[in-house]
Amino acid sequence: MAKTPLLTLTGITKRFPGVVANRDITLSIERGEIHAIVGENGAGKSTLMRIIAGLYQPDEGQIVLDGRRIQMRGPRDAARLGIGMVHQHFMLIPRFTVAENIVLGEEHARGGVFSPREAQERIRRLAAQYQFELDPAELVENLSVGAQQRVELLKVLYRGASIIILDEPTAVLVPHEVEELFANLRSLRQAGKTIIFISHKLDEVLEIADRITVLRAGQVIGTVPASQATKEQLAEMMVGRPVLFHLEKPPVKLGGPPIGVLEARDLTVLGAHRREAVSGVSFVVRQGEILGVAGVEGNGQTELVEAIMGLRPVAKGKVILLGRDITGQPPSTIRNSGVAFIPEDRHRQGLVLPMSVWENAILGYHRASAYRRGIFYDLGRVKDRVRNLIRTYDVRTPDINGRVETLSGGNQQKLIVAKEMSSAPTAIVASQPTRGLDVGATEFVWQQLLQARAQGLAILLVSADLEEVLALSDRVIVMYRGRIVTEFVPGTLAATTIGEYMLGTRRDTPAAVGGENA
Amino acid sequence: MKRRWVSLGLSLLGPVSALLISAILGAFVMLAIGKNPLQVYAVMISYNLGQLDSIGSIFYRATPLIFSGLAVAIGFKAGLFNIGVEGQYYLGAFFASWAGVYIKGLPAYIHLPLVILFGIAGGVIWAWLPIYLKVKRGAHEVITTIMMNSIASAVMLYFIHDVFMDQNQGTLGAPRVRMPPIQPTARMPTMLGFLHAIGIDMPNYVAINWFLVLAVLAAVAVYYVLWRTPFGYELRAVGQNPQAAEAAGINTKRIQYQAFLLSGAIAGLVGLSDLLTYFGYLDIDFPKGYGFSGIAVALLANNNPFGIILSSLLFGFLERGGLGIQALAGVPREVTTILEGVVILTVVTVTAIIGRQVRAYERHMAAIATAAEPPVDTRAPGGGQ
Repeated sequence: MAKTPLLTLTGITKRFPGVVANRDITLSIERGEIHAIVGENGAGKSTLMRIIAGLYQPDEGQIVLDGRRIQMRGPRDAARLGIGMVHQHFMLIPRFTVAENIVLGEEHARGGVFSPREAQERIRRLAAQYQFELDPAELVENLSVGAQQRVELLKVLYRGASIIILDEPTAVLVPHEVEELFANLRSLRQAGKTIIFISHKLDEVLEIADRITVLRAGQVIGTVPASQATKEQLAEMMVGRPVLFHLEKPPVKLGGPPIGVLEARDLTVLGAHRREAVSGVSFVVRQGEILGVAGVEGNGQTELVEAIMGLRPVAKGKVILLGRDITGQPPSTIRNSGVAFIPEDRHRQGLVLPMSVWENAILGYHRASAYRRGIFYDLGRVKDRVRNLIRTYDVRTPDINGRVETLSGGNQQKLIVAKEMSSAPTAIVASQPTRGLDVGATEFVWQQLLQARAQGLAILLVSADLEEVLALSDRVIVMYRGRIVTEFVPGTLAATTIGEYMLGTRRDTPAAVGGENA
Repeated sequence: MKRRWVSLGLSLLGPVSALLISAILGAFVMLAIGKNPLQVYAVMISYNLGQLDSIGSIFYRATPLIFSGLAVAIGFKAGLFNIGVEGQYYLGAFFASWAGVYIKGLPAYIHLPLVILFGIAGGVIWAWLPIYLKVKRGAHEVITTIMMNSIASAVMLYFIHDVFMDQNQGTLGAPRVRMPPIQPTARMPTMLGFLHAIGIDMPNYVAINWFLVLAVLAAVAVYYVLWRTPFGYELRAVGQNPQAAEAAGINTKRIQYQAFLLSGAIAGLVGLSDLLTYFGYLDIDFPKGYGFSGIAVALLANNNPFGIILSSLLFGFLERGGLGIQALAGVPREVTTILEGVVILTVVTVTAIIGRQVRAYERHMAAIATAAEPPVDTRAPGGGQ
């Protein structure tokens, strides 16, 4: 390996109205290494990568590639210099074949005629060169997420990239796809490519990277070789204080045997285009228990949650709360009977962004008579309560009269959790409760859920983050294509086996699953 | 407290800069027709503010616009675009006129309120079908209310001309196409007497009347309903994020239904100031277009009820000033209309741009205020650069 770095950033600063996203960043990337950039949300990782990919121009500082100072005015410049980026959200055309997607914009045409066959052959050779498993003639819409990611990778390779930037590539993958991706990345490294890998999942970073650079609040905290780093050390660098990874989850002691609180009985729910999204799902969530729902997103979890909360009609079956049938009740009734709800998308379902912090802090409980004097709100009393609430739950906000959209994602979620927890519920339906949150806020949400569990609440936890489900749940069910394909206690199944259930390549007999709930 | 003034200042920033920009753009219009813009603006201001009857007239012209702006704003706040205020106030005026003509023998203190209620009912009835179709069948209210506007003007013509035409108009000239005169017990008195009592003497042709006070009260009421009651809270939540509202247990359809009918109710009041004070009868030339102006008024005010009062006065000012510059500076009336259009266009674009900046600024302030450790200088404890 050459001792001069391939890419050097010196004193990079990038400002946006209101924030300094990158401040005086100095960083060097060696030729042929896998270099991970880690940091919490808002630490400036994405901005930095966009600067390297030519999407943003830095306000200050310089970039040196191969000993030559470069200035990029757009992604085309970056591509010309051999820098390519795979974005977190894929930019593919579902109705095109793999080959068509890859060559799009760079088609070879003979006499103005594009030959799909020739393009496919070209892509077949390219894929074989890096041992990528991919059929160039397949339509992208038929591919798994992992395969789509390979298409994105080939897209940048096809354009001659020697430096490949991957933005949170594992966020959308199941465990077994992550392994495939890592195998691909290793073979790219072998072929002499340089890879910059952005993530906030420390286990993965430690597994794949050669060196790791930690960003916090727009600045480089340090670069360490992966072989000498530990998870705890990286987390502390990221957050600025020690982080607990071990979750205390003692068995909950109740007065008597735990009673079933929230129950789904043979629940069938229709999704988009009136297709069955949930098919005959049954489970019971008991007092003092967290029932985790694992699965690749889009396998009916969203519809299941919406049906339980009364937001989507139930086609067949029942939802039962403490022995009372609440099927088909309006959401207000279900909430008032003691089901707290943490929706999967806080911007779409959890908050009214243009409204103030205090207004959002009472959303769903805004009819409470305690908030009113006559028909009007007693603003003094409401705001006092909200101030108490945000103090208790440590929601950071300068002014409860400010718009809730000015809060950071972590504080927005804390506000939702605080509001729901303080409503004295008997059950909690939490859907993707830590999505997009930084380590600190994730810790907070987890602790709140465990505390609720300790108080004897029944909690249904739906999450695409398998680690989270395994860490928090007492029991886990896996959903695949709207059905429960297995149920297990965390620690009893290997991650790869769970991955097989999630991908539908393995399933228990219906009797085995149903038996648990009979 | 200081923060409150800052946020008030920020919310005024959009409309005020929009007005300045539109004045500049308007100047180009003047130049294009060969007039000196400074001179024209000077005439407009001196004509409008230099004489009492102009000021009275501005308030009189603003009155229907306040109602109309409020009606539109309530729709906007609930996420509904009520273009049908136009048709709703035609119907309101017709209902009020019917009750004012044919219900007889009541004392004024019963007859007048009853006539006003008829006006409200007319607006509500005309608003009902579009919102029913929206909630039940998903028909877009913009389309249906536009249709309802056309139907309303046809229905009104039919009633005025074919059913309720005044047959006793005397013998002088051709009869006007209008309904019989509204009885004195249903007429809204002007404020001239009251103004005289507090020392302001306006000429007796100025039609400023008590609907102005009603309009201001309506604005205050709308403010309190929207920002101080659970119903208003739900209405705004539904308007800004129906999905979150639904997830929070709010019956979004019912809220939309109620909000739209409330919008229609206020729309029913739009025409009454003209009908019950100035004209005294409903005729085929009854003023049109208040419903559309109300959209501009609400936009300029960013749907704030108090802002609606101010922006209605501004539109009243422009209209009255239009008469002034036509008479005294030789500027054609159409130019005033162009000016109004320029104001609306600049308001829409400028407020959008400024709003973005203001939000970025607010986010910035919030980020500074909430940072546990300031994002600056984590590595250099002494502070400084």
